[in-house]
Amino acid sequence: MKLRTARPGRPGRRTLIAAASVSAAALVLSGCGVGGSGEAASDTDELTVVVEGGGKAELQPIADLYKEETGTTVTLVELPYAGLYDRVSSELQAGQPSFDVAALDAIWLPAFAPALAPLDDLYTDDVESDLFGGLVSEAKVDDSFVGMPVWTNSEILFYRTDLFEDAQNMADFEAEYGYALAAPTTWEEYRDVAEFFTRDTDGDGTVDLYGTDVKGAVETEWLATVSQAGEETMVLDAATGEVTIDSAAHQEALDFYVSLLPFAPAGAAQLDWAGSQNLFYQGNLAMMRFWGHAYRQTPDDSPVKDSIGVAPMIGGPAGVAGVPGAWYLSVPASGAKQDAAKEFVAFAYEHNALAADTSLGLVARKSAFESKAGEPGFENYPALVTTLEAPQSLPRPATPEWQEIVDSVLVPLMQKAVEPGADTAQLLSEAKSQIEAIVE
Amino acid sequence: MNPLETRGKSRILLWVLLAVAIVIYGFPFLYLLLTSFKTPLDAISVPPSVLPETWTLDNYVAALSRGGVPAALINSVTTAVVSTVLSLVLAVPAAYAITRFRTPSGRVFIVAALVTRMVPTIAVGAPLIELMRTLGLTDTSFGLALAHTTISLPLSIWLMASFFEAVPDELSEAAEVDGCSRIQAMVRVVLPVVSGGLAVTAIFAFLASWNEFLFALLLTSVRAQTTPVVIANFQSQFGLDWGGMTALAAIYSLPVILLTLFLQRHIVAGLTLGAVKG
Repeated sequence: MKLRTARPGRPGRRTLIAAASVSAAALVLSGCGVGGSGEAASDTDELTVVVEGGGKAELQPIADLYKEETGTTVTLVELPYAGLYDRVSSELQAGQPSFDVAALDAIWLPAFAPALAPLDDLYTDDVESDLFGGLVSEAKVDDSFVGMPVWTNSEILFYRTDLFEDAQNMADFEAEYGYALAAPTTWEEYRDVAEFFTRDTDGDGTVDLYGTDVKGAVETEWLATVSQAGEETMVLDAATGEVTIDSAAHQEALDFYVSLLPFAPAGAAQLDWAGSQNLFYQGNLAMMRFWGHAYRQTPDDSPVKDSIGVAPMIGGPAGVAGVPGAWYLSVPASGAKQDAAKEFVAFAYEHNALAADTSLGLVARKSAFESKAGEPGFENYPALVTTLEAPQSLPRPATPEWQEIVDSVLVPLMQKAVEPGADTAQLLSEAKSQIEAIVE
Repeated sequence: MNPLETRGKSRILLWVLLAVAIVIYGFPFLYLLLTSFKTPLDAISVPPSVLPETWTLDNYVAALSRGGVPAALINSVTTAVVSTVLSLVLAVPAAYAITRFRTPSGRVFIVAALVTRMVPTIAVGAPLIELMRTLGLTDTSFGLALAHTTISLPLSIWLMASFFEAVPDELSEAAEVDGCSRIQAMVRVVLPVVSGGLAVTAIFAFLASWNEFLFALLLTSVRAQTTPVVIANFQSQFGLDWGGMTALAAIYSLPVILLTLFLQRHIVAGLTLGAVKG
């Protein structure tokens, strides 16, 4: 038998030395890791805040000022949106969180509330009066405030001013619909304008400009429509567990929502926030209902960069309504530095206006919104304030099962509803049974 | 048609099929690479375009200047190297003992090692957080490397066992007759023979750690965060930065491509090890 020789694949002495050196260096480095300060997390002059990727920029100027004024370093740990939920959830369950403060989505507060420290002493009358009503009610779970809003958002109306201010369009619209072309404020106006702008602009026989989009892969826009229809108890009553999703207002909202399909690009079932934003920035949509922060995110090379107008969210039979999309700073009840953490939360509220000049430019306090009144680049603020102050801008139900309801019931419901010929009443009835099974 | 012509046509057909397969297999990466050179609007165009309309390096500048990226790249290298070394140090003797002595307990052990691969990673996430905290290894590259080793070790044992199987027992027996201890026979005689297999195992262990996301997300925060978590941060609730994300992903792919090219000879030798006996 001829044995295989080891020579062709045999590593040389130099290769072995190099491999050993790299391994040794890696072993030394692995003792800690090279990110951050390398100081122990238990240092009293250091606080760790976990925050969703997009929100880090919002908190950075506040953290910088805190360091300057108090000497305490605030380290912002950036995590992906879904990862943040998993991370906070597992650490709160384990009972020894590695963070001192967490920036949490409003919809997570009911689920995490039992493991969060009460912040009732921070909620003075002055604080409450400077926050939108929906934000205050969302922060309160079981009679205790468990989060302080750090920024809020809502869907508002985006439209293309180059189309709306075009003389020919204005004349044609008035002739066809009998009133002046302007940013729509009601469902009926929105449908008219959407219909008017859905057209073949280059004459090739294919529609290339749509009046609006219809998002089938997300649920929040429909929930805003539900509030616009006059529903006071969106989807379910969190206190009693009664499921209301098959009410007349929910039905009316869903019927209006899908009635826009003829004026929207195909593929609604798969259209989510990112897809909608892309279509608008490409110039394929005349209008979109979207979160207010997008006003500052238009790519420089977008053909609509200088032609974007904003207005409050449209209204239905019950008036204007959006769904508040707030984020809160919360302190884990099992945290080692609760007092220091609460001091930072109070500081962040006090200096909330600093977040206005960041990439997202979102704030939470009414006074912070007002501080930018009339300033170029903040044209979205009045639209956001009007929408958030609307009586029907109600928060989502404060139930720990909300995320599960969204993922397993509401999003599939929307995807089915935007399919041609969908029986919306039947879909809502099925959704009711599914939600009842979840909350019971 | 003579046999030479038939063979030539078959070969051409084979090459064409191979080229098509490579294009299909490699297209996602190629698209990622091309997107990293696109402008923001070009990157989100509807319908999407394959080639950039205007080529730009802005995404690379933005990705590399983003806070935490250089540190995350170093952490990824450190974690992957330590995890690979740990996997090999533990897997080689385990696999050698199993194949050399062929005991019933060895057979049970190798099946048990495979069973650990069947446990969903998320199921051990929470216990690992607790364990690492108790050991004081939370947010350290070493702690993360240990966690990654739990993923790569079973596969490494199986791979090395299959490579050792291909080496005749007579080889190590001859070495022992010549005065080597069992360990010396393994290190000095058998391991050089399976160096190709060792390279293959190292690559798999390295890749398992290099691309791992969930443990990195759960076990690190400030000091030891690795690049997959940073790449995921480009998608936030407020939007998706395609340009930055694809640029960092392209940069992150480079070391693995270079490592594979560097070890190519060993990998080929390893993959063909045992293919022909006698």
